[in-house]
Amino acid sequence: MTPLALRNGADQFGLITRLLHWSMAALILVMLALGLRISSMQPGLSNLWLYGLHKTLGLTLLALVVLRVIWHVASPPPLPIGLPGAARMFVRAWHWTLYALMIAVPISGWAGSSASGIDTVFANTITVPPLVAPSERAEFVWFILHEIFAKTLLGMVIVHILAALKREMSGDGTLTRMLRGRV
Amino acid sequence: MRRLSLFTLFAALFFGHQATAATVAYTLDRAQSSVAFETDFGPDVITGTIPLNSADLSLDFDRVANCSINVDLDVSGAQASFPFAAQALKGPKVLDAKSHPHMTFESTLVETAGDGAAVTGNLTIRGVTRPVTLQAAIYRQRGTEAGDRSRLTVRLTGRVNRSDFGATGWADMVDDEVRIIITARINRKE
Repeated sequence: MTPLALRNGADQFGLITRLLHWSMAALILVMLALGLRISSMQPGLSNLWLYGLHKTLGLTLLALVVLRVIWHVASPPPLPIGLPGAARMFVRAWHWTLYALMIAVPISGWAGSSASGIDTVFANTITVPPLVAPSERAEFVWFILHEIFAKTLLGMVIVHILAALKREMSGDGTLTRMLRGRV
Repeated sequence: MRRLSLFTLFAALFFGHQATAATVAYTLDRAQSSVAFETDFGPDVITGTIPLNSADLSLDFDRVANCSINVDLDVSGAQASFPFAAQALKGPKVLDAKSHPHMTFESTLVETAGDGAAVTGNLTIRGVTRPVTLQAAIYRQRGTEAGDRSRLTVRLTGRVNRSDFGATGWADMVDDEVRIIITARINRKE
């Protein structure tokens, strides 16, 4: 299989999975930083657009994770490199949790935005339907969940990055495989 | 308002001609009138308008205490200086336009204050009624002769704390105090 194969193989990451992984990685890092910025800033007219940007990128990430799950059902990714049983189960559980959070973070943000009574608008053009009815209680609960999910994701992404770097430095090719498709 | 007209009628009957002879009724020129508001939003100001449904004004230029001003606003038509603000304003956390489409002011006491008047009355927002005092000034409209009171401009200004009326949404972002500027252009009833 060439490095530019679109589909995943038994030991290889195809191009589509790698593009999804790296584009989402970049967007998630931007969004975690943007989210922390938004939650601590004094809102005004000059920075109001950051909420719009956060909602637009969040909906983009939600669409990408849905595509990624569908793609991985159609073309399953390879198993982690060279791990014995228990460690493999742990790493796979870690990855499944990352997926769950990549879905839960945007959904909880969308629900909290809906509960605030203000439209969730994609790219200043498309108003997406509200997930829940406006209610201060629902807004409070959904945004608390959004914060918990996002900060858990932040912690797990940091571990994910460090683990990938550590395994690459120990020479097993984990990071290389996600960059080039195969070891 | 009907109740007010009845009151005026009774007053005329019981207290004689003199007391009410100088009270003049005016109708609102809706197209030329506005209710504007502004409030602080971080380092910025949110401005907006709420359309008037009706305004009944009876003015007595000799006895200010005989004046009365009643205003009814259409909350669901509220506009603000940026789209999210209008939506937030009309939503359940602030004015709750769906449950409370009307905002009303009914004067209870009018006193002279400097060149103008202080108008105390009951302001109802979100179904909550609180007394407020607005400063009133009356101007002759451009193009009218001195002494012509057929067309006038009434300017009412004041401040309210929205939390007094339960309009507490986005309290961490948007100031509690809201400044109100009512400009009513009125024509004497013929």
